[in-house]
Amino acid sequence: MENFYAIMIFVFVLFLLLGSGVWVGLALLGVAFVGMELFTTRPVGDAMMTTIWSASSSWTLSALPLFIWMGEVLFRTKLSEDMFKGLSPWMARLPGGLIHTNIVGCTVFAAVSGSSAATLTTVGKMSIPELRKREYPETMVIGTLAGAATLGLMIPPSLTLIVYGVTINESITKLFIAGILPGLFLASMFMLYVAVMSKLSPNFSPKPEAPMSFMERVANSRFLIPVILLILLVIGSMYLGFATATEAAAFGVLGALTLAAFQGSLNWQTFVASLMGATRTSAMIALILAGAAFLSLAMGFTGLPRALAEWIGSLELSRFELLMALLVFYIVIGCFLDGISSVVLTIAVVEPMIRQAGIDIIWFGIFIVVVVEMAQITPPIGFNLFVLQGMTQHEMGYIAKAALPMFLIMVVMVFVLIMFPELATWLPENMRQGPGG
Amino acid sequence: MRRFLDKLYLGAGALAALCLLILLCIIVVQMVCRWLGISFPGSTAYAGYFMAAASFLAFAYALNADAHIRVSILLNALGKRRIWAEIWCFIIGTLASCYLAFYSVRLVQGSIRWNDISQGRDATPLWVPQVPVAIGAILLAICFIDNLVTLLKTHKHNLNGEKFTGPEV
Repeated sequence: MENFYAIMIFVFVLFLLLGSGVWVGLALLGVAFVGMELFTTRPVGDAMMTTIWSASSSWTLSALPLFIWMGEVLFRTKLSEDMFKGLSPWMARLPGGLIHTNIVGCTVFAAVSGSSAATLTTVGKMSIPELRKREYPETMVIGTLAGAATLGLMIPPSLTLIVYGVTINESITKLFIAGILPGLFLASMFMLYVAVMSKLSPNFSPKPEAPMSFMERVANSRFLIPVILLILLVIGSMYLGFATATEAAAFGVLGALTLAAFQGSLNWQTFVASLMGATRTSAMIALILAGAAFLSLAMGFTGLPRALAEWIGSLELSRFELLMALLVFYIVIGCFLDGISSVVLTIAVVEPMIRQAGIDIIWFGIFIVVVVEMAQITPPIGFNLFVLQGMTQHEMGYIAKAALPMFLIMVVMVFVLIMFPELATWLPENMRQGPGG
Repeated sequence: MRRFLDKLYLGAGALAALCLLILLCIIVVQMVCRWLGISFPGSTAYAGYFMAAASFLAFAYALNADAHIRVSILLNALGKRRIWAEIWCFIIGTLASCYLAFYSVRLVQGSIRWNDISQGRDATPLWVPQVPVAIGAILLAICFIDNLVTLLKTHKHNLNGEKFTGPEV
């Protein structure tokens, strides 16, 4: 590397700004500015603004606020009560009992929401008190919730996948569809763990549920039908090629509003609250993406990505070794940064490596999501841990320990993905072509 | 002054929310047009413009709602000395946002001077959708200056996430 010192300054500024607590989007902007000043003679400001303008006004990006809005609408409905009422009669008989409502509830809500914090709060606000009432072991209740909520990022819609797709210019729809099977597989591994632990653990003795006839169970879960329909509408329309991701998101918002209206939980107040919530969250992500767009322009001039890709190439790592290195790399980064920031920050550097190693870019999207999902439940900065701390008043360390088995299951998931890449690639390869990707 | 500024940020946020609503409408109309076989030229470009406007206009509002993400390990570890780190962050934030605001205005000026027109089928003069972006960037800069001044004067900033409830990412 000929510009060794310049690169060192660049990396130092990156750590300085991010570490000292400057807002991520602006920190990326600042680093990119320094990079451009160091490595080019081009007029920096105008180049920055052209890049940011075209990144911010992209059509694919418009799926993002709509999916956020959909989640915000559903968060304000009675969905969490309905979900517990509807799911618990079916789960009561399984080994592990109602703990499974945590996992299945998260899986269902993940299919209408793109964020894991939203999934966590929606499912948890009902299931935590109910499961405590029935004397389920606290670590199980909290651990499974923390773990399963991360499915919100994997099962479509997923904000992380939208951000990934926008940054590397890949079809969001394909990425979404690729997330389905791995998401379901991960959920079933969680359930398997719960079933096994309920048999092994001596203090697993919840109060038994009153038996219910088949028809009663069906009657209890009738409230779930609208949600299931909504999921089928959103994911189905993408899979069958009726709609692009953005259009499916629009379906989702309309469907969620309809559902809320039928439940009677839609009024002017909740409507405004959901819309303003979506506006805030999408502005937050848009600022990060604006900074990241400029940073990846600057990265190109520093030559860092190419140099790193060549260096990695010269090491002649096998695919497996490269992925292991990236796994560790992302877990470490994930300890300090949230999922979206760590994806946009690194992808300009990582993408050339991946392409050079011949790794499928859609598959890698799912890989990266599993890995940043793990970061959501590892201290010191695991977003799900914070949310759970607020909800349960437990200490961070306690929650992190409760979630550790889920973390290990996700590590297993990474290996499963590496061994059976078809899990992620089969569905997208077999879907119908949509209108213009 | 305080109340005026807060209203200003909230107003821009509400305008951004309106942009999201319009974005939704554009997408729905575009889908309906496609099914009916009517052409709606430039719909994707329009959606993009409203996306950009919605993002930028809400930047200041999101800042005051403490919605923008930052790494807070160091800040929390500093305890009483946190104020110095906060001042540093707001200085950097002010510089970066002023820089952004300055060049977003230049972008609009440039688009008017060179008469830039969208390359899509909508053929919109580009300065039109770029104006809300510039306004949003200016508001963000104002919001940062406002917070920096307040922080220096009262040792407290205005970022307050507690007024707002709901799942953030």
